[in-house]
Amino acid sequence: MRSLRNLVLRDKELAVLVFMTACVILVLYITLGQRLFSPTGLQSMSVQVSEFGFLALAMAIAMLTGGIDLSVAAAASLAGIMAALVMSGQIIPVTDENSGILFALGIVAALVTGLLCGLLNGFLIAKISVPPILATLSTMILFAGIGMAITTGQSVPVLVPSFAQLSTSAVGNIPIIFIMMVAAFLIVAFVLGRTRLGRRIYLFGENEVALRFSGVRSERVILMSYALIGILVGIAGIIMTSRANSMRVGVGDSYLLQAILVVVLAGFNPFGGKGRIISLAVGLVLLQLLSTAFNALMFSPYAKNFVWGAILLLVMVLNHYVRHWRLRQPPEKPSPPASIDEEESRPSTILVSDR
Amino acid sequence: MQRRSLFRRAFDRPMTSMEKYLLAIILVYIVIVAVKNPQFFSLETLFDMIRNGSGIMILALGVLVVLISGGIDVSFTAIAIVSGYTSVRLMKVLGFDNLLFVILVAVVIGAALGSINALLIHFFRLPTLIVTLGTASAFHGLMAIVLGTKTYTAIDVPQSMLDFGSTSLLTISAERSQYSLSVFFLIVLACIVLTWFLLYRTMLGRTVFAIGSNQESASRIGISLLRTKLFVYCYSGFLSGLMGIIYFSGLSYINPVSLIGTELMIIAAVVIGGAKLTGGEGTILGAVLGIIIVQLFQSTLVFLGLGASWNNLFFGSVLMVSLGVMYYRQRQLNKRSLVFSSN
Repeated sequence: MRSLRNLVLRDKELAVLVFMTACVILVLYITLGQRLFSPTGLQSMSVQVSEFGFLALAMAIAMLTGGIDLSVAAAASLAGIMAALVMSGQIIPVTDENSGILFALGIVAALVTGLLCGLLNGFLIAKISVPPILATLSTMILFAGIGMAITTGQSVPVLVPSFAQLSTSAVGNIPIIFIMMVAAFLIVAFVLGRTRLGRRIYLFGENEVALRFSGVRSERVILMSYALIGILVGIAGIIMTSRANSMRVGVGDSYLLQAILVVVLAGFNPFGGKGRIISLAVGLVLLQLLSTAFNALMFSPYAKNFVWGAILLLVMVLNHYVRHWRLRQPPEKPSPPASIDEEESRPSTILVSDR
Repeated sequence: MQRRSLFRRAFDRPMTSMEKYLLAIILVYIVIVAVKNPQFFSLETLFDMIRNGSGIMILALGVLVVLISGGIDVSFTAIAIVSGYTSVRLMKVLGFDNLLFVILVAVVIGAALGSINALLIHFFRLPTLIVTLGTASAFHGLMAIVLGTKTYTAIDVPQSMLDFGSTSLLTISAERSQYSLSVFFLIVLACIVLTWFLLYRTMLGRTVFAIGSNQESASRIGISLLRTKLFVYCYSGFLSGLMGIIYFSGLSYINPVSLIGTELMIIAAVVIGGAKLTGGEGTILGAVLGIIIVQLFQSTLVFLGLGASWNNLFFGSVLMVSLGVMYYRQRQLNKRSLVFSSN
């Protein structure tokens, strides 16, 4: 009992999130029951969540560094377009013999595109000091522009037959792409929690200046994190292309808001330095359950949008109260005035410029 | 007495380097287009661009004010659509047809929605981007749930709005066709002057710059953060509401799901004009030049023989390079003066 209490107190936001998810599962189980929690229902949910999970993971890393990546959806669709182009037979005709090679080439093309997109973002942010929002805003328009210029807005079909099977085949009852996503979550969790790079990503988000003054090449940390984001985005592009068996510009655009939503929902601090991958996984489950339930209840896309927006605001407001509650926790000390709270919660700088 | 350039006399300040740079890009681009295709140089093109660009110019002014205050607002297109559509529907329900009424209602709704943004941002100390992302979906979704998303074609659009959209200040007849300068031009000018006056000639405007430069010191010298933020977001909402009516009138077609999704493009246009995301900086002329660039690319790539699909590529590259130049110089400056800010 005591250990459970400690567990809850150690990460209140995660506990609240798990509690909320449990409630949602209970309510959905009572109202929708078999429609949602049948093996096929769970399977289709796990396919849908994996497409989006990679983008959420990418956004989470960006937010840990105190930035944001607005270009994830555009970069994913560009990576998908590159993969689709390789496998569309427009460059190399598809035959039975070379379809295996084209399959591999397509995946490499998507990963390389994703990596390059990520590195471009990282370069702009680390080496040129463009604020992340602006850097990724400009690259978002640029990536969409490149995709548009290559395809003129047309959908690029994939002619390699085995590529679509990537998203439909399963090991036992578990879809392969879901396994890929779980693996990606484990790897990222390991990198963030157990490696030097991960520690530095958290430190960078907490206080960039302090990190630089402790002798870490902080610019390299940013480059590395955006490269990691790029690879994740490339995988998301592959999965999106495989599910539709074609790709066009602007396919995953609606995922941008949802990616930000789930990361904030999982208690990541948009100012950087705080957030856990396990919370992200729970948040992702919650979001996917709600999304599937809305589909089952035949919500219009606008109604869904309204709910997403409302949830985002609600979670932010709740997090605000949780944070303040925590600051007022130690009862022995008198609670400090609000203005000092504010200062302490923000990363301090050594020499504050006029910016 | 020192000789002052025309610009200095007109604007009472030297031109910023970003403005010079943008002006150079615009001039070079116009020369290239004109050489490729002399048809481009006509009053018709100019009038067309003014008509098409007037809506986003008004939005850009709101974006500029928000950026100067150190925030970023992505809900303004949603506010424009929600307030425009709601006021038209309200007028249809009440059963009369009056342009002033519809504008007034739209503007009030816009300002009210803006104040919701301001209150959320102020009282919960939340990042403005994420709050406005949330409110944008919430506002637009709520409107779609309550009012539906029925579109109106020219037959159903209120007559007063159709008249408003086709009013012209000046009509020039050529041999085959005639083209006219839309009344929107006057409204845009009025908005620019109003924004300039509010920003540079009132105490309220100074406080907007102050909280953008440094919120902490602004509040320490006694500036009310709540009042300033309310002004900033209400003003942005006000302009959005106005734009909603202008947009629907100009198209003579009312589609409540259009315009959403163009907000980042407009923010980018203002940012290219030298508004810093960290606040306290930005000029009206820069925002105007930024919008002109977007508008130029949108309407003149055809003259170069490139389809509209190249638009984003051009704009994205210009945006990226300009941001690169702008922030690289800042970086060098910071390095030299040993400033280690973490942004």
